[in-house]
Amino acid sequence: MFDLQSVISDTGVRLCLDCGKCTVVCPVTRYDAEFNPRRIVQEVLRLNGRSPVSDTIWSCISCNMCMERCNYNVKFTDFIRFLRYKALEEGAEIKYSHGGAPQTIMHIMAHRETRQDRLNWLPEDIKIAKQSDTAFFVGCAPYFDVLFSDLGVSTIEGTRGALRLLNHAQIPFTLIPNERCCGRDLLLTGDIDGFLTLARANIHEFGKRGIKNIITSCPECYYTLKIDYPKFLEDWDITVVHITEIIAQVIETGELTLGKLEQKVTYHDPCTLGRYSRIFDQPRSILASMEGIEVAEISDNREKSLCCGASPWAHCGTVNAQIQKERLAQAGATGADILITACPKCQIHLKCAQKNAESNDVCQIEIQDICDLAARSLLPQEVS
Amino acid sequence: MATPYIEILVFACNWDGWSCIEATANLGVGYPASVKVVRVSCLSRIHAGLILKAFEFGADGVMLLGCESGRCLFGVNGEYIINEHEKARSILKILGMRQDRLVLVQLPAFSGQEFVMQVKNFIVEIERLSASRRAKITDPEPAQDIAVLSQQ
Repeated sequence: MFDLQSVISDTGVRLCLDCGKCTVVCPVTRYDAEFNPRRIVQEVLRLNGRSPVSDTIWSCISCNMCMERCNYNVKFTDFIRFLRYKALEEGAEIKYSHGGAPQTIMHIMAHRETRQDRLNWLPEDIKIAKQSDTAFFVGCAPYFDVLFSDLGVSTIEGTRGALRLLNHAQIPFTLIPNERCCGRDLLLTGDIDGFLTLARANIHEFGKRGIKNIITSCPECYYTLKIDYPKFLEDWDITVVHITEIIAQVIETGELTLGKLEQKVTYHDPCTLGRYSRIFDQPRSILASMEGIEVAEISDNREKSLCCGASPWAHCGTVNAQIQKERLAQAGATGADILITACPKCQIHLKCAQKNAESNDVCQIEIQDICDLAARSLLPQEVS
Repeated sequence: MATPYIEILVFACNWDGWSCIEATANLGVGYPASVKVVRVSCLSRIHAGLILKAFEFGADGVMLLGCESGRCLFGVNGEYIINEHEKARSILKILGMRQDRLVLVQLPAFSGQEFVMQVKNFIVEIERLSASRRAKITDPEPAQDIAVLSQQ
């Protein structure tokens, strides 16, 4: 599907000056000296695809910090994705985390015959339009809550909150009963065929229902549907917006007023929403519009936000745990009661670090989704 | 119409579970050839990822065959497998594959007859589920299963 030369020119790796700024800011390199973005680029260019690349390509957490820093805009994360695709083609084996369950679920979902029963979390107070060309893309939250029930995560609360906010703002939407995973994790691990099968199944579902706009609360789904689908699929003409964009907008126009909550919070920018999609201000303006909410900025914020140590459910290990621990310590240092995030995967990864902490030095701050918090601020007056 | 070939994967624990499989040979009671047995050191070794992998590779049903409570050689007494079994069942339900395709069977050692009876009943149950699933799939437009609460 891809050849090395075209990927080299598309990702601009020949512009690499060997300066090593990417390596200095890389959170993985900080804890694992074996992983070195600069060296990976130089090695591939020197060997010109003649020899298999080193195993360290699987350590990249795709946080995009390197691209943020690179003066020549070398698309390192895209390059890594290609190296992984190539490695898989040559028979490399991925060390899947969680027994490979997330990938297996994605592969089963990709079957044409799959008829999911994925809406049993929908509470009665949420109203759904009978006919609408706007769909809310739920993402994999129903699966995550089962799979990570041991960690006590409830990512679906964020989705419920998002739907309640849309109801309050009088924005009609529909849900797709058989929506598939967006396929981002398969794309990141180089399984492009699996990704395309899921994408085509989604397009089929959207087309069948005449969907023209998509709202989603998951940054990973947002970026994949908005940026990756048009890249890989020709007939994609659906507008994709993130819930924080739409809610910040209706707050600004006065169509929605959030309630009051007495809490000190800090906001963690998810990589896919921040660095990838450049949505930094909208979540902050939602928090600022809530009366009684005090926002304490975390030390590494906005473009410099430290990743939650996420991985596409593969090669997760001590390095990831150390990054998570560092991020949680930063959150604790703000003195906030709650760490607010907008990504279900950040919630899972940070809670995993809290749950599996071997010592008391991991900050046990409460972690909550921004939509969940915003919807809760409306609770006493209206929903209850 | 010929009976469809129902592929069953059995994860049998090395101790009481595997002894049931051996007992079928000793007693001369056979079980259908579509039943494949994988011997594992303990059912606690099995997690939701492996169970779902079996379904990904085309198994129609998965049976977890282990020791009765209190008989575990490693003293874990199914505390892991009960949790993983529940997880995998919930995921099968969300995937629309019916959670009854996965069963946890805990038998006394050397219960060959009982195992054969259970596995045969399981095949009958899965045949029934598969028939209803096939009917659902041939339906051109699946039933809209969202509860439309009010029109906006």
